Amino acid sequence: MRRTGATSTGLPVLGLPMLGLPVLGLPVLGLPVLCLLVLGLLVLGPLTCAGAHAASPPRAAILASLCGEGTRAVLGGLGETLAATPDESASEARWAQRVLQAFSGHALQCAPGDQAFLSDGDRTLDAVTLQPARAPDDSHAPLPSLRARVALAQTQAALALVAARDPAERLAAARTLADHAGGLPPGLPAAALAREHDPRVAAALRVLVAEAGLHAPQVGLRLAAIAALRQDASSATAQRLAALRADTAYVRDPRIATALDRALAHVRFWLRVGDGLALLYNGVSAGSVLFMSAVGLAIIFGLMGVINLAQGEFIMLGAYVTYCVQEALRLVAPAWLDWYPLLAIPVVFTVTGAAGMVIERVVICHLYRRPLMTLLATWAISLLLTNLVRVIFGTQNLRFQTPWYLTGGVRVVGDFLITTNHLFAIAFAVAAFVASLALLRLTPLGLFIRATTQNRGMAGCVGIATRRIDMAAFGFGAGLAGLAGLALSPIYNVNPTMGTGFIIDSFMVVVLGGVGSLLGTALAALGIGLVDVGIEPFYGAVAAKVIALLLIIVLIQWRPQGLIAARGRR
Amino acid sequence: MRRAFDPIALTCASLLVLLLVLLPALGLSGALPIYGVNLLGQILCFALLAMSVDLMWGGAGVLSLGHGLFFAFGGYLCAMHLLRTAYAATHTLPDFLQFMGASGFPRWWGFADSALLTLLAVLLLPALLAFLFGYVSFRSRVNGVYFSIITQALTYSAMLLMFRNDTGFGGNNGMTGFHAVAGLPAGSLRAAVLLATLSAATVLLVLIGGRLVLASRFGRLLAAIRDDEPRLRFLGYDTLWLKLAAWCASAALAAVAGMLYVPQVGIINPGLLDPSVSLEVAVWVAIGGRGGLCGAILGAALINVLQFWLASAAPTLWPFVLSLLVLLVVLVLPNGLLDLRNRSRAWMDELAQPLPARLRGRSAR
Repeated sequence: MRRTGATSTGLPVLGLPMLGLPVLGLPVLGLPVLCLLVLGLLVLGPLTCAGAHAASPPRAAILASLCGEGTRAVLGGLGETLAATPDESASEARWAQRVLQAFSGHALQCAPGDQAFLSDGDRTLDAVTLQPARAPDDSHAPLPSLRARVALAQTQAALALVAARDPAERLAAARTLADHAGGLPPGLPAAALAREHDPRVAAALRVLVAEAGLHAPQVGLRLAAIAALRQDASSATAQRLAALRADTAYVRDPRIATALDRALAHVRFWLRVGDGLALLYNGVSAGSVLFMSAVGLAIIFGLMGVINLAQGEFIMLGAYVTYCVQEALRLVAPAWLDWYPLLAIPVVFTVTGAAGMVIERVVICHLYRRPLMTLLATWAISLLLTNLVRVIFGTQNLRFQTPWYLTGGVRVVGDFLITTNHLFAIAFAVAAFVASLALLRLTPLGLFIRATTQNRGMAGCVGIATRRIDMAAFGFGAGLAGLAGLALSPIYNVNPTMGTGFIIDSFMVVVLGGVGSLLGTALAALGIGLVDVGIEPFYGAVAAKVIALLLIIVLIQWRPQGLIAARGRR
Repeated sequence: MRRAFDPIALTCASLLVLLLVLLPALGLSGALPIYGVNLLGQILCFALLAMSVDLMWGGAGVLSLGHGLFFAFGGYLCAMHLLRTAYAATHTLPDFLQFMGASGFPRWWGFADSALLTLLAVLLLPALLAFLFGYVSFRSRVNGVYFSIITQALTYSAMLLMFRNDTGFGGNNGMTGFHAVAGLPAGSLRAAVLLATLSAATVLLVLIGGRLVLASRFGRLLAAIRDDEPRLRFLGYDTLWLKLAAWCASAALAAVAGMLYVPQVGIINPGLLDPSVSLEVAVWVAIGGRGGLCGAILGAALINVLQFWLASAAPTLWPFVLSLLVLLVVLVLPNGLLDLRNRSRAWMDELAQPLPARLRGRSAR
């Protein structure tokens, strides 16, 4: 509704004086003025409906001023001509885009007698008609100055806003205009907004409109602009408003000062809310990573009393298997490449799980009565795995293709951005939690694992093959760690030593959560993740780690069995 | 341990006595290059560190994966003393203090001017830290792998702390630029010989003293803790204080090792606090053999010599050799290389039997 209104009434009012003012009244600086001219043409073009298609006069005039001949006079006479030029298909805008592109690329050739040519590859085109032509030998290619280039970028963005069919291109153009807002004709963003259908581009344009309105001479327009600006509670807005508030000339009118104060308070409040939510989100994301790496450790430790120091290396292995799946898809089925994180899930689980089972069978099962020795043995395994991978793949970080659904994010409140790659990790952790819980609660294997965890001797007596359960559980734990590596691959640096940092954090989670309790592990991982992320901005990452460790040592004093203790006799 | 000195311990001690005599003679005459003297001294410090771990692990069954913390603690204290003496001689501040914009040493560094006070600090401060940590852990009956991993976490957080530049101990560059060691210019042959001989003497002293302690009533109680702590508690012993005593002594020993180590390498940085360093010390002990302190010396010497040799011959091979060695020892020789004699006798006996009997025996197991 509002948009149609702006189209019919507001635009000609805004557009017409703008054309006249800079071109005729102000000292002219050649190219910037030309740019304004082009902008004016484009703003008005689609809206003025009368008149025949007469492309040549403005085209020739634009080219003439680009070639730098008689800038002021030519431009001065051009205003009215342009205003009368209709352009319903934006073909003029596309033509101008092309010419300006050639101009900035040093491919516009000017010849005497107001002739201009475009070099297009090895062809030469007449700049007005875009038909093949021969440029005279004495033509020269003018080079835009550095100062002109800024205006050129602005004009090109404005042209793209009018002419580009792809919303992403228009969005990029709107952002470029927001970066170079100074000297923008006030009518342009509003005109573009009136024509815009894409909500994201429209939102960006509304900011531009407000920005233009901030410098409008009327107080009412300024107040409206401030009100529009405060809708977008970002730190950039806060900075902008604060800068205006500090400008004594600007806030001479008390109404503007109060409006600015209110808007600043509003924006800052929502920024704070956004920061709080971002902290929560990062904490949950860190916690889900911790959970993924700790859950296997917790199951294995609860069942066998064994700390698997190679758990971090299973995570690393999972990330490398993911990489192998990606490379295999690239070779075999490039069309499916974007789906490698999902396709890799069964592969990663199987491969790392099998590796875990083999290691259990070959090494760990001989050491059940000597848990301290398993520490050394699993450390040796981690050393072996790290160096095997290092020899095979090299030490550099792996390069992962980021699929389209794992890029970017959605801005929610203030500067709080829900990034999809972290969301992926969180969703993965939740899925892993549910799957593990289902396995432990609903399947016979889970029943056996729980029975063996609670009382190994009794479980053996009633006929459970406890050693085989150990192997299965070890494989399951290793498989979960591998999946953690898969979930981490879009977030972390994947290299052979990536696993070393995990074991201590994961063990802290297990100690805090209580041995053999899945729910405890999840709660502890979330808690530690939140504490880590919460302390970090105030005291730094190191202090966060140290404080978390001290908290855990204190906690062991009054709850040695962890937050949620597994039932059973030990 | 019944007897303080069995043949292996006697051999070990006499080898050390021999080393104690030969080191100054060979070193000062130039028969052994300064590099060799230095290397020997470092290995002796590692042996000392391994013995401190073995005292707890072999003696009381408590495996520490964080002795690098006490080792580095002693090392940092020693480096502070060396920096103070260097400052007294040259009047230039260490680089890391200059980078931080300090005009002088922090006031509390004053104690490091005195060698005696530094030695006292090395003996007491790490033991105090060990006491605090050990008290809260042993009191809540944290033991086994739990305790091991928490010591590892403690070392890890200390490493993170020391890697920061604003902690005030040189950050990741650590402390270096020592001028003189006990009046001898740092890096000179005589300083190297002195330090290596001192290390050998300390190892010998600790070996004799440690064996005596382990064979005493206290040592037997420790062994009882290792074998069955709840039963000892039922019998009325307060195992908390027994373990704490051994734990603090072990920490002080590790600190002494660090104190002797730092002037020999001429630098200390937080790399020593890396959990994998502490884990490797436990690996030396496991490979050498636990319980008698001789195995610790053997393991530390063997692994370090092997590492030194392979580091130049085939650097990529070393981690594979080490990990396979650990797996081999853990699986085949549960009590380390010193177990080789008993084990080989058992294998010989088994091999001496005819094949059908061996197969029957295996299936019955």
